[in-house]
Amino acid sequence: MIEGVRSVQELMERENYVTDRAIATTVFLAMQLRKPILIEGPAGVGKTEVAKVLAHALDTRLIRLQCYEGLDVNTALYEWNFPKQMLRMRIEEGSSLSTLEKEQLIFSEPFLFKRPLLQAISEPDQPPVLLIDEIDRADEEFEAFLLEVLSDFQVTIPELGTIEAAHRPYVALTSNRTRELSDALKRRCLYLWIDYPSFEKEAQIIQNKVPGVNHDLAQQIAAFMQAARHLKLSKIPGIAESLDWAVSLIALHQDHLEPEAVTETLGCILKDRDDIVRYAGPRVEAMVTAIAELDPNNLANAQDRILARAEA
Amino acid sequence: MNTDPSPRYGGAVSLQSVENEAGQRVWPDISRATRSDLAHNVIDFARLLRSSGLLASPAEVHDVVRALRFIDLADRHEFYLTLRSILLWNPDQQEMFDQLFERFWGGWTDEEAVIQEERAPTMQSAQSEQVESQSSDASYSAMEALIEKDFSDFRPDELGAVARACVVIAKRVATRKSRRYRITSRGSRVDPRRTIRRNVKFGGTVLELSKLERKVRKPRIVVICDVSRSMEQYSVFLLQFMHSMQNVIGRIESFVFSTALHRVSSYFKHSDIQTALEDIAREVPDWSGGTRIGESLHTFNQDFARRLVDQRTVVIILSDGLDTGQTDVLAEEMARLHSRCARLIWLNPLLGKDHYQPVARGMAAALPHLDVFAAAHNLASLQHLANSLATPRGPRPARTLVG
Repeated sequence: MIEGVRSVQELMERENYVTDRAIATTVFLAMQLRKPILIEGPAGVGKTEVAKVLAHALDTRLIRLQCYEGLDVNTALYEWNFPKQMLRMRIEEGSSLSTLEKEQLIFSEPFLFKRPLLQAISEPDQPPVLLIDEIDRADEEFEAFLLEVLSDFQVTIPELGTIEAAHRPYVALTSNRTRELSDALKRRCLYLWIDYPSFEKEAQIIQNKVPGVNHDLAQQIAAFMQAARHLKLSKIPGIAESLDWAVSLIALHQDHLEPEAVTETLGCILKDRDDIVRYAGPRVEAMVTAIAELDPNNLANAQDRILARAEA
Repeated sequence: MNTDPSPRYGGAVSLQSVENEAGQRVWPDISRATRSDLAHNVIDFARLLRSSGLLASPAEVHDVVRALRFIDLADRHEFYLTLRSILLWNPDQQEMFDQLFERFWGGWTDEEAVIQEERAPTMQSAQSEQVESQSSDASYSAMEALIEKDFSDFRPDELGAVARACVVIAKRVATRKSRRYRITSRGSRVDPRRTIRRNVKFGGTVLELSKLERKVRKPRIVVICDVSRSMEQYSVFLLQFMHSMQNVIGRIESFVFSTALHRVSSYFKHSDIQTALEDIAREVPDWSGGTRIGESLHTFNQDFARRLVDQRTVVIILSDGLDTGQTDVLAEEMARLHSRCARLIWLNPLLGKDHYQPVARGMAAALPHLDVFAAAHNLASLQHLANSLATPRGPRPARTLVG
């Protein structure tokens, strides 16, 4: 089915994911070499989206493990259903089962909660896509454990024995790079760095993803965002913010950028109080005015001119 | 395995042996594709990457060779992207990777993958500039080193008191509770899994509890101490503090800076503080010189942070924030450091002064990136610090503690 980089690109584009050669090549290689992909990049550039689109395109299940500090093996892999075990023991109270038999009974699969990693390994029908999101938030112990799972695709539960993957899942890990991951983990993976999109790509994404957005508005939003990323912001908006913004503008029946509507909806793209205080009002309005004066078909390289107005 | 010689990649003519030049392995041998088969060229390329500090082990080479079966070899950009996604893991090294790729596999032009020829010279001149600035720095430091520092002025009993207090503080720091649990019989949280198991024999009536207790976790600590002239009166005491911490905690890395950064952890391995101080004063040429915090932190982030700082590392900067370097560099490096570490603490001896406001340019630039901003002018303030270390990472802006 998958024959080359081009077909991966087509597959992803059919899912409305605007891709580029680098993303398509890495995804293609991950599928062929059966290696996990490690996706790094700033927040809101569509890292998680890669896994979602992949699952959808392959028509398979997406299993997601969200990482956080203190995430431990139990939460990621499996837990025993204690209340159920307790009840069962009550039921078996008068039965003739020995203590050992009772123990075997309540530590069997029906009493097991499967957490994401175990789900991914024990998926019966076809390989799922396993998304391990924000791995940089988990601690090093967990990273080491993950490394083990990713190299063997098998898991040992003391009470049950070893469970081996029926189908090796496709694995994508994302990281916001708040800390450096271990070389061992990186080594296990194909590496993909996704940066903020180019003007053309951003306009295309907005057009594809936001129903009802017209060509000119998509171009204007993209131009504004490209310029905004060069402002001194403490939280730089990603493509996720552009999309939210476009949806809000559509809800306000805007078909082009206007200072008033932009000010009202600025919270969609600037998410830090200091950023809003610094830029809301004259500076944002100057940027919008600069965009409005330009030909919507000629915004690709307008970034410097827009920025100059914001600084003036 | 596709090892077909491909003229586009192989440089079909020369089958140059690596040992040809005087039997030695020399740089030009692996600097470009000279073999007639692709797999060997990939091996050479990996070797070139390794010699330039990138990680490219035989395992990755194996993956590349496997991957070459699946891709369109006639498409140079695809070939480039394939090598990049397997052999490059750090976006900061992409420029270097691109240059090496161009040098090694050079000779094609492809719109997307073209790496401008100008780039190489630019980098070279940047390097030579750096060398120049380093050498001028060195002579500058040599001049500064003339200002000799004699530690004998300090009364020994003072140092002793500092040392004792520092040990108490350091122990406090060393026993922060982790988020992870371990199994004990007297902890605060019930471990349901083990409890159930232990009570099967009572028919499910819970008679014996297994408990969990938070593990004591020793944080890693990095201390970076300003020993410039404006810090003169304090730095000895602060180094004493670092010394005590190192002896109690073990996992602590110490640095000092004035105009440049120096790693001094090894000097603190002497149990005698006096010897350690003398060693450091001898080894650090710019002791009591000017202050370039931003540039020193840049060196730290660049050369050490990757190995020494992780999400459980507490980084402590001891400085008055009177910076003569560039404040935007300082702000940027502080932000980088803050995102890497568990907590970023700044101890400022001036904070103990009655009317002090952190308005010095350097201090103002650093403030938004701190978790704790505290005084460090006397023992009381250091004890205060120990208390603040026992509480979790607070929201920004930093809490200011005046002891």
